[in-house]
Amino acid sequence: MRAGPSQEEVRRHNLGTLLRYVHVHGATSRAELTSRLGLNRSTIGALTADLTTAGLVSEAAPLETRRAGRPSLVVRPESSRVYAYAISIEVDRLRAARVGLGGHILDRRETDRPRGMQVLDAVEPLAEFVREMRVGVPDDTRYVGTGVAVAGMVRRVDGMVRLAPTIGWVEEPVGPALRSALGDAGPLTLGNHADVSALVEHSRGAAAGCDNVIYLYGDVGVGAGIIADGRRVAGHGGYGGEVGHMVVNPYGRECSCGSRGCWETEIGEYALLKHAGRDQQSGRDAVLGVVDAAMRGDSQAQFAVRQVGEWIGFGVGNLVNIFNPEAVIFGGTLRDVYLVAAAQIRSRLNAIALPACREHIRLRTPELGNDAALIGAAELAFERLLEDPLIN
Amino acid sequence: MAATPLLELSGINKGFGPVQVLHDVSLSVYPGEVTALVGDNGAGKSTMVKCISGIYQIDSGTVTFEGNQVAIHTPSDASTLGIEVVYQDLALCDNLDVVQNMFLGREKKRGIVLDEPTMEQMAGDALASLSVRTLKSLRQLVASLSGGQRQTVAIAKAVLWNSKVVILDEPTAALGVAQTAQVLELVRRLADNGLGVVLISHNMNDVFAVSDRIAALYLGRMAAQVKTTDVTHSQVVELITAGRSGNLGLPPEKPAAELGGDVVDITPGGEK
Repeated sequence: MRAGPSQEEVRRHNLGTLLRYVHVHGATSRAELTSRLGLNRSTIGALTADLTTAGLVSEAAPLETRRAGRPSLVVRPESSRVYAYAISIEVDRLRAARVGLGGHILDRRETDRPRGMQVLDAVEPLAEFVREMRVGVPDDTRYVGTGVAVAGMVRRVDGMVRLAPTIGWVEEPVGPALRSALGDAGPLTLGNHADVSALVEHSRGAAAGCDNVIYLYGDVGVGAGIIADGRRVAGHGGYGGEVGHMVVNPYGRECSCGSRGCWETEIGEYALLKHAGRDQQSGRDAVLGVVDAAMRGDSQAQFAVRQVGEWIGFGVGNLVNIFNPEAVIFGGTLRDVYLVAAAQIRSRLNAIALPACREHIRLRTPELGNDAALIGAAELAFERLLEDPLIN
Repeated sequence: MAATPLLELSGINKGFGPVQVLHDVSLSVYPGEVTALVGDNGAGKSTMVKCISGIYQIDSGTVTFEGNQVAIHTPSDASTLGIEVVYQDLALCDNLDVVQNMFLGREKKRGIVLDEPTMEQMAGDALASLSVRTLKSLRQLVASLSGGQRQTVAIAKAVLWNSKVVILDEPTAALGVAQTAQVLELVRRLADNGLGVVLISHNMNDVFAVSDRIAALYLGRMAAQVKTTDVTHSQVVELITAGRSGNLGLPPEKPAAELGGDVVDITPGGEK
């Protein structure tokens, strides 16, 4: 029988907690760490010394202080020396970045992804980006791992990506393909685009301090990262959060998933462009074009935005009733649609959601913008280090 | 959601000679919230803001700030309390740079010379606290900035002085689409940082996108102050244009009896 955690386990746990704090909040003085983490001063001193030896944090006197007494040392994450690669596979573009501890993007590459390009075909250009970035990395640095955010459903156990193009479902082994393309790449973790963005907005963005958050991401379709009681709701296989396939209109259009009247058939890119009479266009720029036209007074575009806004409010209202979130964040093209259709979205939401569920709701746009997916992907790679900072 | 208002006006009356502009107006501004002040042209929005900021003196009524009754006679009384106003025309000087503009008339001094490093640091901190990333340099002349960047500087100037209430008069009126989005996000962030924000706007999307409460003025009277989670677009439009909507707003001008006893419900249906 075990009596409880050993001293060594407690120490590792505290190291992880301290490192996570400065990773999320940035440079923090020892005095503040003492009060925030509820540990005494000498413990903080010892933990910081361990982390400094491991090359994860550094300590320095604050730049300037006006108060009397010896200033408390400031602990900051070694952003330029400890890093992960982040890869983001999105509908319209492929991005890769080198992200330092603390969530700072140190280097980045980006290219367009043509519509219809298979995910497996995206592996090679992304691996090339990583190889390019590797060249510029200084010698005295530490590589932690690679995180990948995919706009698709990701099987938790092995990183298999399941996609729904127009015909049937296919499974693509993105994880293994990237691993072999990158060569000796260390640990590689995959996650869903909306899920990782939600985690980042939750830890250091627009929903910081909120434990119940719904992050909606819109492009061609709509996905969600849902955080309940501070934890990500991913479901049994990791496929949860596919709110875009919540059926809102049984008499609606056919969806690419094979069902009819899914939420994304009413609020996705295609619906907006169709209402605006711009069926032949596609892509993010086309959506922003409609938003722009609506703000300038184009009546057809305003109609499209209002129509889509009503349906956004409809779906959000249902989600609010189910999850009672503190914050709903509109990411991707939904950010722009939200800002121009907020009157419709709010009105419909207020009409549908129960008063008790909606009374404290905050509707927000992402604070980290499009970087959320990259920082979130890196977060997947940092997770192992934060769990156990002395791991190699 | 704090229970006690930061700034509370009650029973405010203001007239110019024979014209009574504000009748018995009340308004509450809460910390951490955006209160949208809406109303048709001539409803008294600007007059009200000028009463709060000390440009006009109120004829009667009380102003309570952080629980204490205060008298605001001059604009400097307002800024001493921590009330800052960002006007539509922004009041920035084109020939000065960002830092000079933010400290205009309130420059920091070290001895007899200006303390440029401190001012630059404070200006940079104010912009950073609002996550402003669009400005290249703090030493750029304001003349070289876009409309959205100017608005950003004007708002950052308002938060520089540890202000507690920031009033924004039509901040998105003259901006392009991308800049409007940025300014709206900035307005939201001001409140999320704990300030009480009053947003004057004609654009219902702006109002619904960022506000927590909506105060609707109608012909110099406060038709209603409601929570944004409790109303619809059409109700707010009715409050602005008719002063009432269903059981919200001002009482009907003529008692129902004068219309023959039958109450005729002329409330329009839903939005669709």
